Parts: sequence; structure tokens; C-alpha cells
Amino acid sequence: MPCAACHGPDGNATLPGMPSLAGQPVFFTHWQLIKFRDGRRKDPGMSPFAANLSDADMADLAAYYATLPPRGRPQAVDATKAAAGQRLAAANYCTSCHRPDLSGQQQVPRLAGQDLEYLLRLLRAYKAQTAADLDGTMTMAVQPLSEADIENLAHYIAGLAPTP
Amino acid sequence: MRRITLTSLALALGVVLALASLTLGQQAPPTWKQGQPRELADSPLAPIAQPPAPKAPGEIPIEKIKVPPGFKVSLWAHGISNARAMTWGDKGTLFVSSRVAGNVYAVVDKGAAREVKTIAKGLNLPNGVAFKDGTLYIAEVSRITKMEGIEDRLDNPPDMKVVYDVLPRDLPHGWKYLAFGPDGKLYFNIGAPCNICMPPDTHANISRVNPDGTGFEYYAHGVRNSVGFDWHPVTKELYFTTHGRDWLGEDVPSDRFDHAPRKGLHFGYPYCHQGDIPDPEYGKGRACSEFAPPLIKTGPHVAGNGVHFYTGSMFPGEYKNRAFLAQRGSWNRSQKIGFRVMMVTLRTADVPKYEAFAEGWLQGDQIWGRPVYVQEMRDGSLLVSDDYAGAIYRITYQR
Repeated sequence: MPCAACHGPDGNATLPGMPSLAGQPVFFTHWQLIKFRDGRRKDPGMSPFAANLSDADMADLAAYYATLPPRGRPQAVDATKAAAGQRLAAANYCTSCHRPDLSGQQQVPRLAGQDLEYLLRLLRAYKAQTAADLDGTMTMAVQPLSEADIENLAHYIAGLAPTP
Repeated sequence: MRRITLTSLALALGVVLALASLTLGQQAPPTWKQGQPRELADSPLAPIAQPPAPKAPGEIPIEKIKVPPGFKVSLWAHGISNARAMTWGDKGTLFVSSRVAGNVYAVVDKGAAREVKTIAKGLNLPNGVAFKDGTLYIAEVSRITKMEGIEDRLDNPPDMKVVYDVLPRDLPHGWKYLAFGPDGKLYFNIGAPCNICMPPDTHANISRVNPDGTGFEYYAHGVRNSVGFDWHPVTKELYFTTHGRDWLGEDVPSDRFDHAPRKGLHFGYPYCHQGDIPDPEYGKGRACSEFAPPLIKTGPHVAGNGVHFYTGSMFPGEYKNRAFLAQRGSWNRSQKIGFRVMMVTLRTADVPKYEAFAEGWLQGDQIWGRPVYVQEMRDGSLLVSDDYAGAIYRITYQR
């Protein structure tokens, strides 16, 4: 499985733009693989790999990545933006679903310490209504955010140390 | 009409504070949390997550489902991720919808076992399926499409042709139940785009449209979200379930089983809940007596989905024309309730009888399945879909 090439040998990615999978909730990773395979979620790098996964592969991969300990990574986080982002996270109910430490739960992903470029890409895609989420919750949540808000939020989230 | 009158300094201050928080970027909470009172902000209650995969047959304890004497439950089909609404093709194919799985399935009965084919995937909450004259109709959030001649092409499904695609795009309560009425029209819900809000005139209703996409009209108003209905076999009148609002209390409001014998009735949302509880915010200046009351209060947060009037001959004679109601079960309540199939006996000059038919998906506070829709087989046995376990059960009766 070539997953490690981008997502890191221990599920903690180091390449900019690549999301870490370590410690992601089982339901989250499993649902994303399903969405990549059925075409609702599209990514030129990821879609071809997901296309060939069996149902059992997807369940096994999701279970495996959930067991790996998440680690932070060195990122160029802007402290001013992060401080503004922290206020936005509180005002926009991020913690209602992603939990107070942004560690995720069920189908909701762990965010703390995630890759900055990846966070920016996903938030912008939700804003553009092109990132298929399961039930629309994220698409709606991001609509009120400006581009500056998105940057601030991403800096805040990327700079958080992941909790186990 | 909504009127804002500043009656006190406190209220005026509140408006100023609300505006101030808007400028600071205070936004609307996620739909499931909307309407939650401040004192419940830390409530652990949240919707039950949909598992990404169906359960294996060994993980489906059908022996736990309790039915009346003489009835028997078997596992009819499994491996159907997020299995929801069911409709029969002319040639005996069972078409099954899903919601977040985004799939539509065809289940082919091979006698000893069932073969499950995915005929559409990647759709936008395709909860509605209906079949007529060789054509399968599929309702997603904002459009109704059709597959003509699908039963002859299950392995190579035809393109989905648009029937009607100018429906609202709101995702909260945007998924639809879809069924043909006795008038040959397609009926579906347009739910309120929120837990509790003043919905636009275009929402919180049951609507209908001709199968060629013409003649769209609203049929019932003030319906928060109905994702299950059927017409009485004798009177041909519409009956439907409605999910009540959340965060008003553990035991209120009750969900509803409603009767809409004619077009144009208003069932109270958002002004009045369960026929007799004015909404604390939107009920001001309105009276519950303005609106059609529920036929039955089905219980708080039970989440009534599928409705099916029994017309078969396998079950005892008294079951004829009874309505089966599948209740997917609660999340907005500390003690879980629902997760069962109820039945309703309509009685002349008396209140309907409302009692349990099948239960056991809830064990203590643990659930292993969620019954969501009911359909009848040609032999009169009853199919119950379970979107949590990804399975369909068959209930038979032997004297």
C-alpha cells in the first residue's frame, strides 16, 4: 500500500499539503475512502488509490490509522492569525462537533496539528461548495467565513498540539 | 407574519448585543445544535453517527426483535449500506434508497438469498425512491430524476433523466421521501431547513408534482419534516409521520402521526408543536387551535419514518388496513426511545389504537439497529429496513 509515501510511515504526514491520518476516528477515515471511491470526493492524488479499494480494505485502513498516535509537525504558523483564528473557532461552533481539543469524533475529523496547506485547501473548497461533506454541516458552517477568516482559522488549527 | 416590536429596554439591549456579536463573527450553530437553550450548551446529546459500513450477518442479532405470537423475524437481506426506503419494481426487484451513503440499490430475490446491486452512487442524500410503469424515480435533495426500463438493465443502468430539478438546495431536512399518490402524482417533503426557525414559504411542507415534472404544488403546510407517508387503502387519504423539534425537553414535544384528507391544511410548525404546545419563540400571538392537531402523539423524539398500511392476507384479519410505523429512534433525549415498529388501528368514532409491533433494536441504552422503513411483499409478509445495520428484515406470520 503506497499510503505511507504521502501520509507518512506512521500516519503523520510531513509533505506540505498532505493530511495526517494518525489518530483520525475510524468512521472519519472510512467515510472519506467511501467518498473517494464513489466519486463524491475528488482529488487527483487520492482518487486513483481509493478506486481500487475493497470494502474490507477500507475498514482495515480506517481501523489501522485510528490506532497510530498523532504528532504535531513543524509549521510556519503566524501567531497573530492564530490568535484571530482561536476567536473564530469559538464563534463558529467548531468545537461542537470536532470536540473542545479538536481531536474529532465519530465521522468528524481530528483537526489539531493538521497540515496548514491542507486545511486551507479544504476550507476553501467547503466555501466554494465543492468539498462533498456527508450532510452539509461543514459547507454551511464555512459559508460566513471570509478568505481572511479561513486563513486565520487554518493557522490556529495547524498550530494546536494534537492530544492523544 | 413576523413582527418585531421593541417592548422594553432589555429587549432593545438584546438586539444591540446580537448585532454586536454578528459583527464579531458569531455564527449559526450546526443544525443539530440550533435551538439548544444556553443552559444545555454542554449537553452530551448529539445525533447518532451513521456507521460507514453495513454489519455482517453475524453481528445482526435478529433473535432480539420481539414480535406478537405467531410472527417470525428473519434476516432477508444484508450488506446494504444505509438501507432506507423501499419500493417494488413491476418485475419483482426491490429498489432500496440510502441517505448519507449516496447509493441506490436493486435487491434481486434469488429464492434462498438476495443479490444486492448498486445501481447509482455518489448521489446527494438519495432517500426517495418510487416506481411506476417500468420507471424508477429517485429523489435527492434538490431534484427528482428517473431511470426508464431499469429492471431490464440492472447491471448497466440507464442514465438518470431529470423530472424536476428546481427544488431548494438546503441540506438540513433536505432529503426526501418520495411516493406515488392515488392521483398518480409524486409526493415528497420539503423539510424546514433548521431545527426551529421561521421557514421560508417554500419549506416545511409536503409537495406534489406530476411524473412529467409539471403541476408542482404544495399539498400540506406547517410540516417540520415528514419522511414517511402512505394513503389509506380504502379512503385513499394521506397519512404521514412528522419529526418534532429538538431541545424543547426530554418528553416534549411528541412526534406526530398526521392525517391530511385534503390539500391546504396547516400542521402548526413552527408556531405550535404536537397540537398543544406553542413554540416558546414562534408561538407568540398564535393559537394551537389554528392548526390541524396530530391524529396520534407518537412519543417524544421517537423519529417516526416509514408508514405502510397493510393490505396483505398473510397476517391475521384484524391487521388489514392497519398502519405500520417504523421509528428510527431518538438522539435528543437522555433515555433512548423509539427503535421499534409501531402499529395503528384506525377506528370509527374512537381514537386510534397505537401499540408496539416489533421492538428490540434498543437493549438498555445500547442500540444495534434502527428500523426506518416498512414495505410489504406480495405474499403479505412485511419487510423492515435498518439503515444502521444496513439490513432488511422479513416478518412472517403462521397460524
